[in-house]
Amino acid sequence: MKRVLIIAQAEFLALVRTKFFIIGILVMPVLIGGLFAFLGYADKQTDRTERHFAVLDGTGALYATLLKAAEEYNGESGEGSTQTGPHFLPENVDPAGRSAEDLRLEQSARVRRKEIFAFVEIPKSVLDPGAKEPVRYYSESTSYTRLSRWLDSTLNAEIEQRRFSTAGVDPSVVKRLTTDVDLDTFGLVERRADGTMTTAKQVDEIQRFGIPFFFLILMFMAVMSNAQHLINTIIEEKMSKISEVLLGSVSAFQLLMGKLVGIVAVSFLLSFVYLGGGIYALLQFGRPDLINVSLIGWFLVFVVCASLMFGSLFQALSSACSDLKDAQSMLQPAMMLVIVAYLASFLVMRSPDSTMAVVLSFIPTVTPFAMMQRLAMPPGPPLWQVLLSVVLLIGVTIVVVWAAGRIFRVGLLMQGKPPNLPELMRWIRR
Amino acid sequence: MTAIEVRHVSKKFGEHPAVQDLTLDVPEGSIYGFIGPNGSGKSTTIRMIMNIILPDTGTIRVLGREASSDVRDQIGYLPEERGLYKKMQVGRLLRYYGRLKGRAPADLDPVIKRWLGKLQLAGWADKRIDQLSKGMAQKVQFIAAIVAKPTLVILDEPFSGLDPVNAESLRDAVLELRREGTTIVFSTHDMLTAEKMCDRIFMIFRGSKVLDGSLDEIQAQHAQDTVRLRLSGGAAALTGLPEIESVNDHGNYQDVRLNGSPQALLQRLIQKTEVRHFEITKPSLHDIFVRIARPTDAELAGPQKVAS
Repeated sequence: MKRVLIIAQAEFLALVRTKFFIIGILVMPVLIGGLFAFLGYADKQTDRTERHFAVLDGTGALYATLLKAAEEYNGESGEGSTQTGPHFLPENVDPAGRSAEDLRLEQSARVRRKEIFAFVEIPKSVLDPGAKEPVRYYSESTSYTRLSRWLDSTLNAEIEQRRFSTAGVDPSVVKRLTTDVDLDTFGLVERRADGTMTTAKQVDEIQRFGIPFFFLILMFMAVMSNAQHLINTIIEEKMSKISEVLLGSVSAFQLLMGKLVGIVAVSFLLSFVYLGGGIYALLQFGRPDLINVSLIGWFLVFVVCASLMFGSLFQALSSACSDLKDAQSMLQPAMMLVIVAYLASFLVMRSPDSTMAVVLSFIPTVTPFAMMQRLAMPPGPPLWQVLLSVVLLIGVTIVVVWAAGRIFRVGLLMQGKPPNLPELMRWIRR
Repeated sequence: MTAIEVRHVSKKFGEHPAVQDLTLDVPEGSIYGFIGPNGSGKSTTIRMIMNIILPDTGTIRVLGREASSDVRDQIGYLPEERGLYKKMQVGRLLRYYGRLKGRAPADLDPVIKRWLGKLQLAGWADKRIDQLSKGMAQKVQFIAAIVAKPTLVILDEPFSGLDPVNAESLRDAVLELRREGTTIVFSTHDMLTAEKMCDRIFMIFRGSKVLDGSLDEIQAQHAQDTVRLRLSGGAAALTGLPEIESVNDHGNYQDVRLNGSPQALLQRLIQKTEVRHFEITKPSLHDIFVRIARPTDAELAGPQKVAS
């Protein structure tokens, strides 16, 4: 056991000291946060162009509204150094008896000459109730959607109001009558021993989706963050005969277990860093009620099992290969198991008590992801289901680690072409 | 006492017999040399002794016990290709390997310091392996094999690729270990080193034992009349002489294997050319090795299935 821990310590230090771990795992959230902040800033700073556009207003009534809305929009975007968005500058086009085709050709030419950015064609019938003819927006830069989206919302609001007025309905009454009613979600109430009622707890989006999603991502990271390191070290050890030196001191199974304990420790470190960050964030946002110690406990149980199960699989398959390229191809099916489990969890998230979710959470390769989702979504699964899934998971993990040990023992000393599935099975039975 | 006992050991890889019915004894406290051509089964035998791979048949006892994890800690091992983590510091690596042999870090530090100093690596403990030259890395690998003070050290080609200075310092280190009572087994392609250092020599060829004994015993077994000559006419003067079986021409002198008497050859040479040197010698280990391992005419003729 002592030697297993010595190997585990070496593996742990080797992994957490790599730039990949420090940058990829610990600094990555900061980098992603920074990237979003930069994108937000850049979005405000980079799109400060004056967007001139022509309006071919078939109704003869909507241009004025557009001009007024644009002035309001431009005012909100600000001026000079404080400007945070584009300015939309409409100009009315007088048809002067020209045909629609001629007008389109003329305005298209203006767009090409960069005199205007786009033009919009509003059909005459658009104010009629039930009109089907669309408003047409023409531009060279069709990927730029800010102007088209603004036109869409501005025109629709105005057209809707005008249609109500035409029908003799006061638009302000319509607005009042069609105001959305909120639907708040609560947990259940119960009667206390003294006869009073408990207050139902309101469940919000953070609790319903934020927490389960956080655990899903963290589980995925904990399992996958070790994969590349395992492949690299095993191939290095095998190719430079380090494994022979190690096997002169410890058994293949001790070596495998040492590495597994090392990666479980890395997964724990990763989990503690992110869980710590998550708890800090909840406290900062005044939501200490969402900190659930038993959920964290279950998560750690599942992280241990998932790291052992997938880690031993990754190690066994890497040990059977003689170079990095072979190992990466060989590991693809094992990686797919993790990815399938990750994706299946979204089905569970949609309906955590459905038959599909229950079945998925009993499939050992999916259990760490799916059962964790169910646990994180109120009210959670019955305890017997959780315990049964953990027993199944631990059982399968033991079998996988055992089989991996058999493959590892043979694979470490094998050279040449990677084995196929029947050969791997023979190694296990040997 | 015998440090290693190998009895009728065979090992096949697929259909290829790597080692066949091998029996050998390595006496305790000796330096035992493994020689043999590439692919003859040396490394496979060493790996079986190390219990890294298991023999198909036969038994191996190491330090009086069945080869197993019980004696691993008492065996130091240097593999044929160097087994070092490139990104690890020298000191950390040596401590790691020593700890895997069950030694406490406090016991290891003085040993590491001593051997780094002896092998001209003092001051390199904090450097990473990939910053070392090939010779330095090989010496580090050697220290890794002996850092836990094993009673048996197995070195698979420890001197290959070393310059003469580094090879000499490693040879001195091996002799020092022997003086301290350590049993040493090493494989080598350098016959001169084997002649100079080994108490006993073992040769494996195509998976089978072909030589086993002290240098004197081996030379006596292969004592065929061998003559070293220096002639004014060079090797050309030897052409067509009936007493000669083969000539190994070294340029300035020739080693000749005879199938007749040396006296008859001398008489014939005196008539043909000026004989500057004529010495009846024992065959060197190199000569014996070449005689055994030289490809046959049929093998030289073209590719065919040859166990090697």
